[in-house]
Amino acid sequence: METVYRRAQMEELIFSMVRAATIVLFAVFTLIPLIWLFINSIKQPIEYLATPPVILPSRPTSQNYVDLFKDPNSEAPLALKNSLIVTVVATVFSVLIGSLAAYAFTHLKWRLAPLLAGLVLLLGFYPKITAVIPYFVIMNNIGLRDTLLAIIIAFVGLNLPRTVWLMMTFFNDIPKELEQSAMLDGCGPWSRFVKIIVPLAAPGLAVAAIMSALLCWIEFMIASSLAVVKATTLPIAVSVYLTDKGMHWGPMSALGVVTVVPVIIFCLFVQRYLVRGLTLGALKG
Amino acid sequence: MKLKQPLLSETMMLAIFLIPLVAVLLVTDIIPLGFSTYLATSSWQLIDRGASATWVGIENFRKVIADPVFRDSFRVSIEFALGSTLVELLLGLVVAYMVVGESWTMRAARTIMIVPMFIPGVVVGTIWRMMLNVNSGIVNYALGLIGIPPQTWFSAANTAMPSIILVDVWYSTSFVIVLLVAGISTLPPDPVRAAMVDGASRWQVFRYIMLPMLTPVLSVAALFRFIGSFFVLDHVYTTTYGGPGFATNAMSFHLYRQGLQFFNLSYTAAASWLMIGFALLVILVLSWLRRVLERHAGP
Repeated sequence: METVYRRAQMEELIFSMVRAATIVLFAVFTLIPLIWLFINSIKQPIEYLATPPVILPSRPTSQNYVDLFKDPNSEAPLALKNSLIVTVVATVFSVLIGSLAAYAFTHLKWRLAPLLAGLVLLLGFYPKITAVIPYFVIMNNIGLRDTLLAIIIAFVGLNLPRTVWLMMTFFNDIPKELEQSAMLDGCGPWSRFVKIIVPLAAPGLAVAAIMSALLCWIEFMIASSLAVVKATTLPIAVSVYLTDKGMHWGPMSALGVVTVVPVIIFCLFVQRYLVRGLTLGALKG
Repeated sequence: MKLKQPLLSETMMLAIFLIPLVAVLLVTDIIPLGFSTYLATSSWQLIDRGASATWVGIENFRKVIADPVFRDSFRVSIEFALGSTLVELLLGLVVAYMVVGESWTMRAARTIMIVPMFIPGVVVGTIWRMMLNVNSGIVNYALGLIGIPPQTWFSAANTAMPSIILVDVWYSTSFVIVLLVAGISTLPPDPVRAAMVDGASRWQVFRYIMLPMLTPVLSVAALFRFIGSFFVLDHVYTTTYGGPGFATNAMSFHLYRQGLQFFNLSYTAAASWLMIGFALLVILVLSWLRRVLERHAGP
């Protein structure tokens, strides 16, 4: 009995050490590239391609950031503006349209309603490369090729299936009795939606909005197929640095930081919602 | 109490709620997919906006399958998906097991570890391209400090694949960790406690109690990661651009280039339908596998 107890203690001690080591190692592994990105963005120009690499910049400079936004040739201000516009507009519309549709799917007594909902969900799971090229051709033919509108519409479509799915799970958790009394008072679906459902499902709406916003901010494939000059977004601007502008690591890192910092701040504050959004589908599946 | 007679019936209103959804999805998915089927079965040319298009049946599919570059990109995507999924599942499981718990240290650790997956893929690729640069990258520098010679990373065909797998591991293990932490946290505590009272070691508890109960979450994670890696584009675009040569010419990237740079539209359409077919196959196989595993797991 004694030896079992002591062995368990020993084991716990070893485990604690292993656990601490694993966490530290993996956290360092996770953080170093991000820290390196930041360090690269404040280096002097001659320090970029130094061999061996400069780890602590001798005279940190904000010149790269200044160049990004003051240089008339830089696409950064436009890219930032476009990314913000696209993200906000697409998120608002995808949450609006998606939650309305989810409400309809959970309230319609139509036999085909679950089938339609399932189809919508399925549309969230095919490789978008199949639709990217035809969508580009269509947009090209109606003259919307290099516009934010084309990107916004595409992003709304990209986010809708997941938003509908998310909101349906939240709406299904709201007891029908809450609406029945309103229905007896003559409340139509729209007022029930606005006055009862939306306030109750607010956390769900937050999750949907956050996940949509994140996806819009980081999306590359669809945006790059449509945007040429006027509708460029931040991910496109970053990718351009490696193809067109060669090895200007400084401004490229600064642009990377500009793209990444909102993400990190977002993650710190809304981590709870992100995790909830990610695991909701997976655990029930 | 005066009852207002509604202008539209309840069902009609609800149907109206669905109109924006249908309108958007029509434009972003249904019509493009339909057009894609047309592109895949005809000889559409971009230059004349399809004026000379004729129906060619499965001819495009034959051409795609016969194309050695396409077959090679399939091999690349499979290797990449298998490699990255396996490493991410293993690493993710180990880290997730270590990082469960409500103490502030655990939560802080999890907050840090969740960040990579939300960084734009192109930025992830850019960062690692700088870090794995043969001459001025810090990884080779750090390796040199402990006596390991500099590696060729992205610049040589035989090390390019492990390099992009490394990038994806940094990028996507965080997703696996989120899923698995949630899975582990929601396991019923009684079987675990019972086993520990019986004197089982941590490893035994994990291997024989927790792991079988985690198979559903693990299979979901495996599916998402395999499909996700198979469709990779963003960080390949900014690290290797398919190279050196065609060593990392993953399928999505290959089709992206064929379609948007060379405007090989019929080829791209037919190939992407093949890709969808393959993805469906994977989903079916993994679901079947999961059912087999669950039958052997048991409480």
